[in-house]
Amino acid sequence: MNGTTLLLRQIHPSFVKLGRVTSQAFRPTPKDEQKLSVYDGDLITPAAAWQHYRARNLESVGVLAVTVGECQNENLPVHSSPLVFLEHAEIDFTGLSSNACERTGKKLKGAAETRGWLYLA
Amino acid sequence: MRCDSGRIGGDRWQSLPILQRILHIVLIIGTKIRGLGRHAPSASKHQAYNVYIRSLIRGPHDTGVVLRVPDFLSPKLVGKRFDSHSIPLELLGDLAVLEGMLVEVAKWRYLKENPGRKRSPRKFTDGISLTLTAVGEGSAVAKIALTLAASSLLPTFPTEQQTYLEQARDAIVSAIAAASENKSPTDHLPSSALAYFDRLGRSLLQDEAIEFPRCAEAEPARLTKETRQRLLKAAEVNEWTEEIAVRGVVHEMNQKEMSFEILLTDGGKVPGPVSDQHYETILEAFNSYRQGSRVLIDAIGRFNRSNRLQRIESINHVTLLDPLDLPSQLDELRLLKDGWLDGKGVAPTAEGLDWLSRAFHENYAENLPLPYVYPVAEGAVRAEWSLGKNDVSLEIDLTQRTGNWHWLNLKTDEDEARTLDLRAADDWNWIESKLQALAGTVS
Repeated sequence: MNGTTLLLRQIHPSFVKLGRVTSQAFRPTPKDEQKLSVYDGDLITPAAAWQHYRARNLESVGVLAVTVGECQNENLPVHSSPLVFLEHAEIDFTGLSSNACERTGKKLKGAAETRGWLYLA
Repeated sequence: MRCDSGRIGGDRWQSLPILQRILHIVLIIGTKIRGLGRHAPSASKHQAYNVYIRSLIRGPHDTGVVLRVPDFLSPKLVGKRFDSHSIPLELLGDLAVLEGMLVEVAKWRYLKENPGRKRSPRKFTDGISLTLTAVGEGSAVAKIALTLAASSLLPTFPTEQQTYLEQARDAIVSAIAAASENKSPTDHLPSSALAYFDRLGRSLLQDEAIEFPRCAEAEPARLTKETRQRLLKAAEVNEWTEEIAVRGVVHEMNQKEMSFEILLTDGGKVPGPVSDQHYETILEAFNSYRQGSRVLIDAIGRFNRSNRLQRIESINHVTLLDPLDLPSQLDELRLLKDGWLDGKGVAPTAEGLDWLSRAFHENYAENLPLPYVYPVAEGAVRAEWSLGKNDVSLEIDLTQRTGNWHWLNLKTDEDEARTLDLRAADDWNWIESKLQALAGTVS
């Protein structure tokens, strides 16, 4: 994993409205314990990541991505977490205030939208 | 409403000598005039008497003779729409049904009292009409007069028709009263007559009523949306109609058959006819289906006994909506169930969504850009705007009725956060000024 590594984020159907994705998709919810789950793009393709995700009976309409470098620009550490499954990684929001989470989520979503959908079901 | 009991006519009457009949009529006229005096409004009292008496003194074979009962029925319309003592035209359509209903019930009464007859007399329904003569005060009171063609004079006064029509009126009012008291309307009317309530009362809104006066000190019979439902259930009809306003996308259109199908927010599909005046709008909605164009259709819808909308019967208005139409977006959120976010999301409450819909309707200016609306995992609702490089969000707590505003300029990294009281008009004004300023920088 390096600065250009893509971190693949699955997008829930309720987080897309007329093709526009909410920035909520790029910030952890309280249940996530301040960690945003992603797939390590060095280890799995967007299409395979989507299939893996759906095989776990989780909803996704497609895959967007930010890079490790984009996260580091926002002072967000990125960790591999292979104990969940091999390709699993986490963007760590620990210690950020709710406003900071809001702001960072919008910036990550902006970067991902600029990159465009890497996989669309 | 009068509650006369004395009647003349029938075999006993026919057997009286002419002199005795005249004496009887003089007595009856006196009674009637006193009766009318109790009910007719003072301004029209003398006119009413004149019409009434004229109708009695014309020749027995004068075909132009009419009998007019000026205060035959005075239903009172109760609700905000009637506060200015006026009646919306659509309600007149409901009241118009009374005439046909009255005649049918009168025929039913006749046959009930004359079991030997298979049908009512040939001219039984001739010349009967109900006319709205005035709108009185007291919310709005529809003064309805009954006019009858009197084919013969004194020997048949008051006509047999009038007797049965008055009985019919009383039966209709009693059926409404029974339904409003959760009793059986079929004690007063046959099921076939109850089916007239498919139209009568259909235009009533929630919290509106048509009150029909009853005899003596009895409370008026109240026809409301709920009462009407009970009457229709008692009618044992398989389908009934309601006024509806539905939102959805036109996903099918058949120009040869002049029909279409609307896909509702809840996934239901409802067919309907395309009339010439709505053809262009429905076609435009159909052609822009892929862009998510929605329509709002005000129509008469046909429902089955499970209260499920089966089809659109006729359309009153079709309005093309913005793909981001707020009520439609909020309606989509109503479909969420707890667990919507992979087993963990809390569904927003219906009450909260109702409040938010009203709050936007009352406070959000027409000229502002419409937001994209999303659910939030904890049961809140989130509105977002993309205005050039400005990413704006308002996360709305449906319980506290507060909103967390956040604005970020993705180019300059400038941002602003603020908690707003969404019960306060000032805070909605603040949102408006911010959005106007941000939208202005885009254009």
